[in-house]
Amino acid sequence: MFRSSTTVRRAVGMAVLAIAGVLGVAACGGQIAANTPASNGVNFVAGSGTTTYFKAGSRAAAPAVSGTTLSGAKLSLGSYRGQVVVLNFWGSWCAPCRKEAETLVVLSEQYKSKGVQFVGVDIRDSPATADAFVQNFGITYPSLNDPADEIALDFSGTVPPAAIPSTLVIDRSGRIAGRVIGGVTYPSLNSMLTKVTAGT
Amino acid sequence: MTDVRTPEAGSGGAGAAAPGEFVPGDPAPPKLPAAGRFGVTAWARWGWRQLTSMRIALVLLFLLALGSVPGSLLPQEGIDPAAVQQYYTAHPALAPFLNAFGLFNVFAAPWFAAIYLLLFVSLAGCVLPRAYRLARSARALPPAAPRLLSRLPNSVRYETTMTPAEASAAAEAFLARRRFRLHRGDGWLSAEKGYRREFGNLLFHIALIGVLVSVSLGGLLGYKADRVVVEGSSFADTITDLDAYHPGHLVSPGDLAPFSLTLDKFTASYILSGPDRDQPSVFGAHVSYTAQPGGPVRSYDIQVNHPLNVDSTKVYLIGHGYAPVLRVTDGRGKVVYDQATPFLPAETSTYLSEGVVKVPDAQPEQLGFAGVFLPTAVDVDGQLQSAFPAPYQPAVSMIPYSGNLGLNSGVPQSVYQLDTSGMHRLDTPVQVLTPGQSMKLPNGAGTLTFTGYKQWISLQVTYDPGQVPALVSGIVALAGLLLSFLVRRRRIFVRAYPGESGRTVVDVGGLARSDVGGGFETEFAELAAGLGAAFHGTSGADRPVPVTASTPARGDDDPSPTTEETRSAETE
Repeated sequence: MFRSSTTVRRAVGMAVLAIAGVLGVAACGGQIAANTPASNGVNFVAGSGTTTYFKAGSRAAAPAVSGTTLSGAKLSLGSYRGQVVVLNFWGSWCAPCRKEAETLVVLSEQYKSKGVQFVGVDIRDSPATADAFVQNFGITYPSLNDPADEIALDFSGTVPPAAIPSTLVIDRSGRIAGRVIGGVTYPSLNSMLTKVTAGT
Repeated sequence: MTDVRTPEAGSGGAGAAAPGEFVPGDPAPPKLPAAGRFGVTAWARWGWRQLTSMRIALVLLFLLALGSVPGSLLPQEGIDPAAVQQYYTAHPALAPFLNAFGLFNVFAAPWFAAIYLLLFVSLAGCVLPRAYRLARSARALPPAAPRLLSRLPNSVRYETTMTPAEASAAAEAFLARRRFRLHRGDGWLSAEKGYRREFGNLLFHIALIGVLVSVSLGGLLGYKADRVVVEGSSFADTITDLDAYHPGHLVSPGDLAPFSLTLDKFTASYILSGPDRDQPSVFGAHVSYTAQPGGPVRSYDIQVNHPLNVDSTKVYLIGHGYAPVLRVTDGRGKVVYDQATPFLPAETSTYLSEGVVKVPDAQPEQLGFAGVFLPTAVDVDGQLQSAFPAPYQPAVSMIPYSGNLGLNSGVPQSVYQLDTSGMHRLDTPVQVLTPGQSMKLPNGAGTLTFTGYKQWISLQVTYDPGQVPALVSGIVALAGLLLSFLVRRRRIFVRAYPGESGRTVVDVGGLARSDVGGGFETEFAELAAGLGAAFHGTSGADRPVPVTASTPARGDDDPSPTTEETRSAETE
């Protein structure tokens, strides 16, 4: 009685310990489930086009961002205070960025007279490919050169861009009014700019 | 981990299962309820008992182990996305089929989560009630003394001139000094020692729950990300700058540690001769990093199993390769591509690497190149091969395409694969380029120049807040288990009553509830002798006479000299 019970107990104990061990290994091996935005095997995190709009009064202040543009000029977002700024994170190698480029060019022309300034943030790119992209799509607004993606990091405490491309709309008082994760479409960005320029 | 219950002690024993109650961990699960007589509740109870039975837990554990097998045999999205891409290329028919079952991301697959969660529920449902029972058992009083102490495995009878009450009091005082837990009744005394066993058992069970909680904590609050970094370039720990990102359910983009890191230099040494030729001997990634924007720049040497730790976020070195620096001039004579392009190792022994170059902004047509990088290029019977993983004779060979890369449609595509469905191969002989050499594309489409090479490393960024609690819980579980194995619970019973000769008869019985290591007989003999002296000492009358002594019937080969020892102790 004593002997057999002890053996059973010991075996069961070892089994439980083994379970705990395997659970530990499983924990090292991976997560229970992936969240969105998840990896899709394309070597960058692409967004789904999710649009978020923040009402005036519940907007976070945008961080002070400055840097050098692709053409070598100094640029500071603070100098656009009083204007609405569209901050677009892009890379010439990223397919959704190439698709939305024409829309951005059209909207930047359309809203120029309404006090909307477009600014690009070129990430993970080389000067040669970035220049070719800008020229090809006829982009007239400036782009900050940010190969190490440090500008996105500045936004990490506020409304961080969560995919490539991501677009942030900053209102006239320097607060983040909206975000598009993934490529923009004409209707989505147009309606957001209409609201922000109207001051709502 | 059920308690050992003996027929003698079982009736009043703490932690005894009520009749019909199923104790998880019993070797056999409960019987199926007979159909018809049982309602939904009974079936639910039956299902719950099945789920929390040790048999089902073991089956789930086995399934978990089985489910992990494809995780180590097939390339995994979370660990090496590049290898998954290569697998797709190598097995175009099989790969989508495997992917449908989530076999390229086993640890995130719903079926794997189902096993995991069932096991979690099974363990929690088994461990929690048991921890409660153990806690009660650890505080319980010893059971009442059995009527016939002479039937116990160890027993001895004394006669003394003390009254039964005096003898009981003497025994109580003696056992209390020996730190036994006491339970007194009418004419009997029960004493028990070794509750640390139950405490250890309880500790083990609580620590198991701790392991489970830690693991789920890591799964909910942790994240894992991958990034390829070329020498001289930087990356920031933000979602836009990661190649792959696997957050836990409660992780938001702002939770990532805002560090940025620059790869200054990567060094790898390979064994030049012997049976381990081509094997790497030393890897080292010299990086400089800032923990947050604007912070001080620090440097660190990341090696395999020697990760960089930034505010509890760990950065592991998990792979490396070559990135040839290629420059493309298009038909207009404009430089439209000039950068180090990571190629993926196709052969780990020689680091023959494959890669593609996409030039979406070339004019008049988009250009694409697919080819190989050879660290030590050799010509074997007209076949281009790499002889060694170190870059002794670097060369590239690229096949040019022109047409539509498919990038402008907006559908994300892998940077390591060229979709040639909208392109045509440019008619040019295969050329091997060494650093500085160029190849001209036909029809004035442009030029490709191999200007040099850099090395890249692939980093895995992980944050797992459950790691330390899981380790602590594991250590506590082990300590509790050892305690429960090493400490034994043993009971001493004393019954004192008037004998026929007018003297008081005192029966002393002993029982070890789990005598794993043996040795209880020795302890019992020593205690019995002490008790005998106690009966003698207080009254000052005749010394007590041991009348009988019994020891458990054991095999002849049992070497313990219990009877002799008991006798000699008593006659002292």
